[in-house]
Amino acid sequence: MSVSSFPILLTAIPLSFAALCPIWGMWKKEACFPWSVAGVSATAFISWALVSKFSAVGTIGYKVGGWAPPWGIHIRIDFIGMLLAVVISSAGLLILIYSWRYIVHEVEEAKIPYYYTLYLLIFAAMLGFSITGDLFNLFVFMEIFSITSYALVAVSGEGKALRAAFKYLLMGAVSSITVLFSIAFLYSVIGSLNMLDISKRLPNTPYVVVVNTALALFTAAFAVKAAVFPVHMWLPDAHSIAPSPISAILSALVIKMGVLGIFRVVFTIYGHGFPSTSNLWSSLCGFVSWAAAFSIVIGSSMAIIQRELKVMIAYSSVAHIGYILLGICMLAPRGMTGGIFNIVAHAMGKACFFLVAGSLIYKHNMKRIRELRGIGRTMPVTAGAFAIASLSIVGLPPSAGFMAKWYLLWGCFQKGRYVFVAMVLLGSLLSAIYCFRVVYYMFFTGPRLHTQKVDEVPPSMYVPAALLSLGTLVLGIYSTPLISAINKFVGSLPVK
Amino acid sequence: MGREVKSVLPILIVFTPCLSLAGALLWRNKRPRFARFVYVGSSVLTFILILLLYPRAMNGTVSTQTILEIAPRITLGFRIDTLGFYFGLLLSVLWVIASFYSLGYITSRETRYYSFLSLNLSFCLGVAFSANMFTLFIFYELMSLFTYPLIIHDETDIARRAGLKYLVYSITAGAVILAALIMQYFYSGTLAFTGRGTIGAAGVSAGVLKVIFSIYLLGFGVKACIMPLHGWVPDAHPAAPAPASALLSGVILKVGVFGIMRVVYDVFGVDLLKRLGVSLPMLYVASISIIVASIFAITQTDLKRRLAYSSVGQVSYIIFGLFLLSKSGAYGAMLHVAHHAFMKGTLFLCSGIIMHELGTKDVREMDGAGAKIPLTMIAFSIAALGMMGTPVTCGFISKWLLGVGSVEAHRVYFIAVLLISSLLNAVYFLPIVYSAFFKKVTVRELFSHEAPLSMLLPTLICAVLVLILGVFVTVPGLPYSLIKVVMKVIPL
Amino acid sequence: MNFSRIFHNLNYVVSAVLFLMGLYTVAVKPNLIKKLMGLNIMETAVFLFIVSTGMVKGGYAPIVEKGVKASEMVNPIPQALILTGIVVAVSTTAVALALCIKIHERFGTLDASKIPGKEEI
Repeated sequence: MSVSSFPILLTAIPLSFAALCPIWGMWKKEACFPWSVAGVSATAFISWALVSKFSAVGTIGYKVGGWAPPWGIHIRIDFIGMLLAVVISSAGLLILIYSWRYIVHEVEEAKIPYYYTLYLLIFAAMLGFSITGDLFNLFVFMEIFSITSYALVAVSGEGKALRAAFKYLLMGAVSSITVLFSIAFLYSVIGSLNMLDISKRLPNTPYVVVVNTALALFTAAFAVKAAVFPVHMWLPDAHSIAPSPISAILSALVIKMGVLGIFRVVFTIYGHGFPSTSNLWSSLCGFVSWAAAFSIVIGSSMAIIQRELKVMIAYSSVAHIGYILLGICMLAPRGMTGGIFNIVAHAMGKACFFLVAGSLIYKHNMKRIRELRGIGRTMPVTAGAFAIASLSIVGLPPSAGFMAKWYLLWGCFQKGRYVFVAMVLLGSLLSAIYCFRVVYYMFFTGPRLHTQKVDEVPPSMYVPAALLSLGTLVLGIYSTPLISAINKFVGSLPVK
Repeated sequence: MGREVKSVLPILIVFTPCLSLAGALLWRNKRPRFARFVYVGSSVLTFILILLLYPRAMNGTVSTQTILEIAPRITLGFRIDTLGFYFGLLLSVLWVIASFYSLGYITSRETRYYSFLSLNLSFCLGVAFSANMFTLFIFYELMSLFTYPLIIHDETDIARRAGLKYLVYSITAGAVILAALIMQYFYSGTLAFTGRGTIGAAGVSAGVLKVIFSIYLLGFGVKACIMPLHGWVPDAHPAAPAPASALLSGVILKVGVFGIMRVVYDVFGVDLLKRLGVSLPMLYVASISIIVASIFAITQTDLKRRLAYSSVGQVSYIIFGLFLLSKSGAYGAMLHVAHHAFMKGTLFLCSGIIMHELGTKDVREMDGAGAKIPLTMIAFSIAALGMMGTPVTCGFISKWLLGVGSVEAHRVYFIAVLLISSLLNAVYFLPIVYSAFFKKVTVRELFSHEAPLSMLLPTLICAVLVLILGVFVTVPGLPYSLIKVVMKVIPL
Repeated sequence: MNFSRIFHNLNYVVSAVLFLMGLYTVAVKPNLIKKLMGLNIMETAVFLFIVSTGMVKGGYAPIVEKGVKASEMVNPIPQALILTGIVVAVSTTAVALALCIKIHERFGTLDASKIPGKEEI
């Protein structure tokens, strides 16, 4: 196992750990947690090791089984794949540690090994999705994390959960089939499944209609996975009803896979040379950016009227996917920087939100926002983490969310899209309302008795939340390395 | 002139107030008295540290310190020029006064109150010392957010509603400033303060410049409570505890004004503004603000609401002086920042004592207060006279200079605004003074007595400062001498 | 309308029609099992499409023997893709059916319109 095989290990390790997890569970249920932690932290270590390699040599390629790219499966870790791999593995580790104490509260004891198995599977699939260079592989990994998330949403077995999971499954499966259909379209006229290979052959294809159809179907299908405004209906139910660590995974990472899918299709596959042969590409980007802008406003407005904390957070995800996709599809260089940066910022902020929501359910079974009175006094770390993360979600300085918004707005000015400026600012005002309402109930209402003792959740639950929220602060204050790396990457994309 | 030295003092000064957080976390339960000492001590220490910068400020040396590069080409840095030093000094003096006063006034939720009080000092200093618009914006936003706990300190329904209103106003304003900030960065490529306008060199069309200018004014105008944007002021001031409202009115409104000053002097530059022709419309806006706010003040019966409206008018004096774009006008505006801070500070501190001792905040129930709390009411009268612009108080100096500035700018008729406003000030302040000293004591107040020393002394110091600033205007170290140094840089 | 063209590409036309039929079923039918059937019809449509793309007129099985030209071999990749696709489809269906069983246990019905809404549960 040398360093050169790290790329494949990134997904092979969690996959094999997942396969062995139920076996450990048969022997001893308590062994599953350390087993998964071992797998996930090994993966996290590998991803960070790859970062150092990436910064030295740039895009990392790996031929699975030694087959050369157009024929064999090619793993290709470009910047955005690397970024997502790091985010997934680091956030995944924190959330996994959080779920140790939490999950006992929500899942029957007999099912716990399966919970960890599914967790490792979703983790492996997301990593595979981010690093693969093969279109069909992309589909397979997408299916793995999709099916796993349907199951994880339903894991509590409550009526609501079943209903939400089925809704999620229907929309997810239709979008997956559509992705497969588009892959078939592309394959039938291009004859290749390697993304780089396709992107080289695309400009010369005579079958522009077929290729265009594939592009439109791809975008629509991945938009469902990303939960952009007109097709976001599954998200609020599924994300709010899943067990909180799973909500965190779904909201912070899984919907980003939809974004990555759109990115892969629009830029990695269709971005080079194709836009000059078809004007569908740019009009599609325009369409997606409008949908994203509406997501921002509508997601935030819907979040305001929610009474339940987790539903509110879920709607906020719809808005933030809007920020990310607006940045990516606006085709302005700095907007792209903002969009990609917000992937990281939102992952940390939103994961923290859901972990805090989970802690409140764990400790006091509080689900409604109005019930949170005085939590700031009894659970200071948890509530403080929420307050700090909400700075980032709202996009106030100094937080990562602010830097993301800064670049996003800059991008809007680069393209002269003043409507988007207004919508982004409106979105951030609306998000201030829904976030600070919660902070208000936590800190500024409720009984004020000196006798009230601090009554926190166990450290394994509040430490991950606190780390994530501190992460948003640190990234907001010192983001130069990340942003210059993103800028460099954006320079290689067809956005001007 | 214009020498720059690197120095760690800016960072040290900005983060010193955070020491009180240590007091809050370590000793609040076990040794509350010591914790209180830490709270107040941290603001005194900040004041002393700022004084260390005095020699540099007087010879125009700029202390700079870059902390880090937040993102490529966007730095977080401090740069203390004389204007920043002047603001910082003013802030810290007022904070020391308010902290001492709070010792007597604040009896509940002390930890939260003092923590946020000190954090706000930190952030206000950050605004005053920032090296570029980005740093200024970060600290400005933090300050906006962290003022909220001070406003809703009492946690009554009124305070909550005022706090909500305040948050809505200031977060919206923050978004608006962000829009202007990013436009400035997009069009001119720099956010640094250099003492000259930077945006003019970028070759941007006048229309865009006017748009950027108006958006900036809309954003900062909320904190600086220019008239149509003042909505939160009359609610927030009465709701906050007295020392906090003294700071709100004395300092936090001025931070908005400071933002406008940076926009005027460091982003656009005086010459560019003269060319853009924005000065006259702004003068009209400020004049309307001055007069309408004074009329509103007359109709209020709640003492603190009256004071709040008076603040709206008085801060507009500063805006007025700023946009005269003449030398004396600028002198008047900058002097009035300090003068109004001390006058309004005194008034709010007095109102706290009045509420505390007499149990009323209705201006019609002040009969005979002068007999019961004589020192307080004397302080109140001094400040009230200052508001009217009576000679010997500092209010006179700034008004005089504003008048001279109007003449210099060839806009003589604006003197009428100043005169009318003085008259209106007299209408709403003199009856209070009159009933306090010349009317009979009502039964209700029979058992009230003068406030404890911790509250009385800061109030009196503040009032004495009003007189000192009015008499010893040109003594080195007082605002005038500092502004003289500031004005050397500004091409007026 | 060029009928012969449609006839020559019948497999593609059929797969498109099947796909839309499936989509219609998923979207419109209230019964969860019928929805699943629609999903499977969609999948079948895609499989039909993919396997058609590998077709070579008069082609052989892709086994290298003497005397078989590479150009006459049927493309093996689509078949491999479908095999994977079928596995994926089966697992999706399995999860969905498991959910259906649970829903039936919980609510006593598989009619989407009769399953109580979010608020009532």
